[in-house]
Amino acid sequence: MPSTLSSPVGRTVKTPGFTSAQFDAFVATRNESGWITDRRRAAFEIYQQKLAEPLNPEEYKRVDLRTFQPGRFAPSVVAAGPVQFETLLEKSAEFGGGVTHIDGHAVASRLDEKLTRQGVLFGSLSDLLRDHRQALEPHLMARAVLPEADRISAWHAAFWTGGTVLYVPRNVAVEAPLYSLIGLSAADVADFSHTLVILEEGASATLLEETGSTTTENSGLHVGAVELLVGQGANLRYVQLQNWNQHVWHLAHQAGRVARDGSLQWTVGGIGARLAHIHQEVSLDGRGASGEVNGVTFATDRQLLSYYTQQTHKAPDTRSDLLYKDVLRDQARVVWRGMIRVDPDAQKTDGYQRNDSLLLSPDCRADAIPGLEIEADDVRCTHGATAGRVDAEQIFYCMCRGLSRFEAMHMIVEGFFHGVYDRIAVDAVRETLSAAVKRKLGIDR
Amino acid sequence: MSEFQQVATLDEIPSGGRKSLVFDDRAVLLFRIGDDFYAVEDVCSHDGQPLTDGKLAGTSIECPRHGARFDVRTGRPLCMPAVEPIATFEVRVEGNNILLGAL
Repeated sequence: MPSTLSSPVGRTVKTPGFTSAQFDAFVATRNESGWITDRRRAAFEIYQQKLAEPLNPEEYKRVDLRTFQPGRFAPSVVAAGPVQFETLLEKSAEFGGGVTHIDGHAVASRLDEKLTRQGVLFGSLSDLLRDHRQALEPHLMARAVLPEADRISAWHAAFWTGGTVLYVPRNVAVEAPLYSLIGLSAADVADFSHTLVILEEGASATLLEETGSTTTENSGLHVGAVELLVGQGANLRYVQLQNWNQHVWHLAHQAGRVARDGSLQWTVGGIGARLAHIHQEVSLDGRGASGEVNGVTFATDRQLLSYYTQQTHKAPDTRSDLLYKDVLRDQARVVWRGMIRVDPDAQKTDGYQRNDSLLLSPDCRADAIPGLEIEADDVRCTHGATAGRVDAEQIFYCMCRGLSRFEAMHMIVEGFFHGVYDRIAVDAVRETLSAAVKRKLGIDR
Repeated sequence: MSEFQQVATLDEIPSGGRKSLVFDDRAVLLFRIGDDFYAVEDVCSHDGQPLTDGKLAGTSIECPRHGARFDVRTGRPLCMPAVEPIATFEVRVEGNNILLGAL
């Protein structure tokens, strides 16, 4: 993505990267069926058109991409060797299966045999597309994240490298949570991982996903997509913990669709990355569908973490509830732009969105921009946003109890995030988020 | 980052000109006013967006969106809606080279 610096003199020339030649070379390494290559080519054409157009200013004007040089990054052609990948999620619970990707290549995958016998598909996208094309093709980038949606989704659709697929057949309940790890290891690697979850009618599952770096200094790029397709009466809990090191650029288009009486609980953790921008959409398509979105964001140093969220009510009696909590320190910035959209026939909708920011330093900055767009006339839609410093009296109280200022500050941060933790029913998620926050605070090294 | 880095050459920027560049992973705007050079972070402290094409009058740069003005020598805000300063960088001229360092 070349950003334009429109200075009259001495314009800094950027390397746009991801040219036609690079695309052809990339496709040649993939060894995929014709239909996949055709889709990639179509998406690359859209990507090139979108490159010529400006990004949607509503979504991107607060996301400073001027120092972003996509030309530095390229997908990794070879799979990484065995790498030590320290993850918070993996060791925190009993899992029914897991998939691990390093530098865009699946390196490990397992699923409980009992689940395999029940028809559950879980593994790497490249493998499953080859073996189960019929089940997956109608869903892949056709219902939730469309290549033509914007530049990021087109870029992703042209270059997706791997990712995790979960397919749960009708009325199958996957009790134990599953995990998916996306790792970046080598320097300047672009990861285009794709997450596709399909729950058929009455199915239920929990998928925990974590992204992380194996080094603290290697820069990387993630252009990702997440698609969550929740069938009638199905119930999905999905968590994505973004835990890259602070030199990774994270751009993602993520969308969930919930059918009649289905429910989706979606939790996002934003801890790492130099800059992260996530476009997150929840669409309630069927009567009685519900979506709960939780966010825990902790930004320090010069990080910029940005979220553009949409809750779309397309049918009557649907419910959505979004709660993002951000903590900022140093010169960090967090941007949240949220929208609740209610279609004309989505009567009796109950929509809520809320963003709370806790500012730990004078130089950090939080932008919260909630919005409502309501076309029905019998709904309950509310929103709110707060931003503030840590209350000096609370600190004083903790210090009276023998805590240092540092400890007091961190206890207050923990308490602030508890509002979100309390909504998450899965212990592994609560523990993992809390561990990630503690580690970043520097109290659990 | 305490080291100075070459970011431009003298003949690149005429008097009254400017150059957008990336230094220390930040977007920076370098000005030449007469024979003096000044560098500020290219982000308005009011809305967090670029000052790149803002009007320069004397030593003050005006934000193209809401009209906030900053002194490019110190980063100090000169009028509403800005109340916070913008970051500045140290500029050195060595021969034909212009070098930048973090303050």
